[in-house]
Amino acid sequence: MRRIAGIVLAVLLIGGVVAAVVAGRQGDDKGTATKTVRGVIGSEKSDFFADPDVVKALAAKGYTVKTEASGSWAMDGLDLKGYDFAFPSSSAPADALAEKYHARQPLPRPFYSPLVVVAHRSAAQVLAAGGLAVLDGKGKGTLKMAAYLDAARHDRTWQQLKGAAAHGELTGTLYITSTDPETSNSGALYLAAASYVANGGRVVASDADVARTAPLLRKLVSVQGAQQPSSDSVFRDFISGAGNPLVCLYESQVVSLLGEQSGRHGTDSDLVVLYPDTTVNSDHTIVPLDDAGRALGELLSTDPTLRGLAVKHGFRPQGDSAEFVRATADRAAYLNQTLTGVRQAPVPTFAVLHEMARRARG
Amino acid sequence: MNRRPLLALLATAAVVLTGCTSEGHGDDDSTAPKAGTLRVLASSELSDMTAVLDRVRKDTGVTVRPTYMGTLDAIDLVARGKADGRYDALWLSSDDYLRLRPEAAKKVVSETSIMSSPVAIGVRTAAVRSLGWKPADVTWSQVEQAVEAGRLTYGMTDPARSNSGFATLVSVASALSGAQSALTDADVTKATPRLKKFFKGQTLTSGSSGWLASAYQRRGNVDALLNYESVLQGIPGLTVIRPSDGVITADYPFSSLASTSAATREDVRRVTEDLRTTAVQKLITDTTHRRPVVASVAPAAGLDTSRRRELPFPGSRSVADGLISAYENDLRRPSRTVYVLDTSGSMEGDRLSRLKAALTGLTSDFRNREEVTLMPFGSAVKSVSTHVVDDKADLDAIRKDTDALHADGDTAVYTSLEKAYAQLKPSQETFTSIVLMTDGENTTGAKVGDFDDFYDKLSADRQQIPVFPILFGDSSRAELQHIADLTGGRLFDGRQGSLDGAFEEIRGYQ
Repeated sequence: MRRIAGIVLAVLLIGGVVAAVVAGRQGDDKGTATKTVRGVIGSEKSDFFADPDVVKALAAKGYTVKTEASGSWAMDGLDLKGYDFAFPSSSAPADALAEKYHARQPLPRPFYSPLVVVAHRSAAQVLAAGGLAVLDGKGKGTLKMAAYLDAARHDRTWQQLKGAAAHGELTGTLYITSTDPETSNSGALYLAAASYVANGGRVVASDADVARTAPLLRKLVSVQGAQQPSSDSVFRDFISGAGNPLVCLYESQVVSLLGEQSGRHGTDSDLVVLYPDTTVNSDHTIVPLDDAGRALGELLSTDPTLRGLAVKHGFRPQGDSAEFVRATADRAAYLNQTLTGVRQAPVPTFAVLHEMARRARG
Repeated sequence: MNRRPLLALLATAAVVLTGCTSEGHGDDDSTAPKAGTLRVLASSELSDMTAVLDRVRKDTGVTVRPTYMGTLDAIDLVARGKADGRYDALWLSSDDYLRLRPEAAKKVVSETSIMSSPVAIGVRTAAVRSLGWKPADVTWSQVEQAVEAGRLTYGMTDPARSNSGFATLVSVASALSGAQSALTDADVTKATPRLKKFFKGQTLTSGSSGWLASAYQRRGNVDALLNYESVLQGIPGLTVIRPSDGVITADYPFSSLASTSAATREDVRRVTEDLRTTAVQKLITDTTHRRPVVASVAPAAGLDTSRRRELPFPGSRSVADGLISAYENDLRRPSRTVYVLDTSGSMEGDRLSRLKAALTGLTSDFRNREEVTLMPFGSAVKSVSTHVVDDKADLDAIRKDTDALHADGDTAVYTSLEKAYAQLKPSQETFTSIVLMTDGENTTGAKVGDFDDFYDKLSADRQQIPVFPILFGDSSRAELQHIADLTGGRLFDGRQGSLDGAFEEIRGYQ
């Protein structure tokens, strides 16, 4: 009796669901002729895809893109069934995903962005006075990675640096905040850059390299305590005035922040963008899971409007540096537009980077 | 022969369906799924977001239906898989502790920070003056000194349940241990003597920020509250100070649960996107005193923007749990509780077994040094047995007393409460309270008016002992609510949820 009641109930409920789905479809069809493409993206591209201009430009080409943010290094743990593409922030996880889902190489890499360190002016000035950074004007400078890693190795505190006493917030161990390298790309790339320097200017490849650099990387991570899962989270902390005065981010995040601020009341006079003298690029790489995903990747790489919008969001389009320099002319005081004096370190393979991250987290 | 069962069957189905519908519209049922509605497990202090969520509904058409819970309890629920299918999203003050529990962390996808609020100390403006403090320069060490000199008392929430309490505990431990980076077990051990002195100043505890604020106002003899800046800004008469040697900041990530469908996650994305718009960020900071996370919106007037060191949150569960355990069992004042338990005739059978099960379950939660009195009553108080928890033998003794409970007699609620007050000596050394569990209305002995008179004549310090009544069986909500209001306690519901759930929740207030 109870079981039959259950069946009747189920039939009634299913009826309701079917009706709802049909109603929903009819609603969707009104006035839209675009193809919906779904993707999982690194959090730093959320603003790009949410931008009404981007939505419009994509619609003009016949696409509605629905995205969901995930840590780039967590994407291999997701079930990507029903998605058309994944868009991690680095080629290493992209290549691993491509292999898993049999996506054809070469993968579209529409744009890239170098890793930078944002600092409050007080912190940047104290770093410069201590020989850890060189400032170029008020808003930008270079972080000397070897000197910074040396300070980290010796648990140097802010109090030990000249001029820190004038700033109450500059106390405790000197460190750069980064994201969880096991799930988030910017955190992994931070380790990639640091390990390259610590390994004597060679990319970490062998077990011996990993073992040699592990203690320092462990230190860089453990000093931070709990780490945030995404570059967006640490970026938001920085904007809201919370968190550590030194934060490792993508240049693209800074460029779009500066864009937002100039629209308001001048730029934030307190921000200094430090380019590590050895850094790594995040290559935003599309992993097409079907034809629609691949077509979207090609479109983002080639469509002039979309490339322009990518620059607006701070990304550097592949193959044309002049486009970026032109578009960010108003923010040149904060940006090393031509990346002068910045060395791009190659990124270790997915497996090596994973192992480095695992050991760094301890 | 065939027709009648079929009719009955349809009638049953109709009843069940009606039941579902009415539950779906009720305020209490937050677990039934509904299109266009996100069932969100949220930290208790987010109950101040109603206006913002109304705005989000207008903007997106998506209704956010929050179920409020202490952050650490919510994380536990997620870790045990009990949030799967019952909730769509998680909105806690912070996911830092969640990430220390991998089984909980893997249940969560796409965390989006919405706003921020640092830990702070809100001090009565008169006390700030008499201490001679300059708010911009106050450090945790100064707070410690004022406590040691007997010049400052404060209230805070229970770190084992509420994230505001936990973040406060970590801030204080980091500052007083002198740790230069993320806390280690060694730091906690080193800081213990100083922390013990610091927590001598805590004269008020609470399981939630809301009750903390009302108890603070009612008592009038507590000098300060430790909580998030946003909570403190909402309480009149407090000078809100962010200690200059460092704070921990909540960043309120809105996260989808991994168990949800793509359509649900799309709703989450639309809601978070709307929460990040300039207009909504402005509404958030203006109405809730939290800090915006977009550069185009300035923090509300009154939120000081000078910089503070951000203290790292512990990176390992052993440090975090070790700190909570040290606080509960060693650092804080012990609690002193009288359990006034209805064992009248109507409790016979299932109700009595449920009470026994709940109490037995509770013994695993008792803290070291805690003093527990069981006072079962029927027509009068039947017995009074007191145990101080030091080791397992004491817990066994409480379990034995629990097992011996038997049901008979009438229900003398007020006479028994009066006896409980007589039993308790007010003390500055403990958190003292009374728990009242009854399954029926008062039927004998003192009447409500008598109890009001009795309470009125109590000494001022005895009047500060709150009664936490638990609704159970056929007890009267009005009667118990009156007792809670009169004594400054809070009513808990053992009927909606479970009886052990209610006893558990009260732990945060003891």
